[in-house]
Amino acid sequence: MSDVAHETPVAHHDEHESTGIGNRKLGMWVFLSSEFMFFGALIATYLLYSNRGGFEGTYPSEIYDIPFTSVSSFVLLMSSLTMVLAHNALSKGDQNGTRTWLFATAALGAVFLGGQVFEFTEFIVQSDMTLSTNPAASAFYLLTGFHGTHVAVGVIMLLSLWGISRRKGGLSEEHGMNLELVGLYWHFVDIIWIVIFTVVYLLSVPSA
Amino acid sequence: MTAEQDTHPSPAQYWKIAALLAILTTFEVAMFYVDRELGLGGLNALILISLALLKFVIVVGWYMHLRFESAIPNRFFTAGAILALALYLVVLSALGVVVIRG
Repeated sequence: MSDVAHETPVAHHDEHESTGIGNRKLGMWVFLSSEFMFFGALIATYLLYSNRGGFEGTYPSEIYDIPFTSVSSFVLLMSSLTMVLAHNALSKGDQNGTRTWLFATAALGAVFLGGQVFEFTEFIVQSDMTLSTNPAASAFYLLTGFHGTHVAVGVIMLLSLWGISRRKGGLSEEHGMNLELVGLYWHFVDIIWIVIFTVVYLLSVPSA
Repeated sequence: MTAEQDTHPSPAQYWKIAALLAILTTFEVAMFYVDRELGLGGLNALILISLALLKFVIVVGWYMHLRFESAIPNRFFTAGAILALALYLVVLSALGVVVIRG
């Protein structure tokens, strides 16, 4: 039953003759490529100010909770797994599997966002590090806040697709392309966090 | 490349990739604590950046399926990543944050 669907994966839909790839998909790749410049600027700004002295107040690297952030990173990493499983299920025509994995991805994204809200609250309430405490704090909130915003947009898109998949007939071929585009965006958010976790959290804490 | 090699990974392979990513993340966090004890300095930075790069390539290649895509998205994505990295390395080295030794 699913063999036919398996031989025509979602990835090959909507192809354009001259490029061999759909215009919407190519647009998403170009958009994601431009996002490197955006996040690169924010990461560079953080690196510029993270250990620069001369300012009062708490610096982010003094108060990082590495075990907590490690768990958050793991959650976001695993959401990439559930995302590809959703895509794989749809390519086989498995609507139930697609629904389940889409919801799991959105739920893991929401858990990550909850962790970020908790982290920000702890930093502000316990350590009195606000957006305007010093340039390092500003750069930290700007970078992780914009990443969190991207995750939130991804969760909204995932929940929208999940809502559509619950309707009679589930996700159509056209929606399959939407799922692929949302998947690309979601994985991109994940790879940006891989960089942020290493460069901003693990590498900016001074050795004891 | 044969048609067989060109197909996307199976769910079992996706789980194996996730397990590998989890192991690499665990190793990263372990390196953080090893560095705190031993003060590895530049070696720690090199290992952590290498691990992050490996995770980055695995997610882009297998989960984003870039290794199965045509040349155009490959070129766009790789060019964007390399250009951003090069630009900000130059900016940070000019500002003295990153020291590049020739």
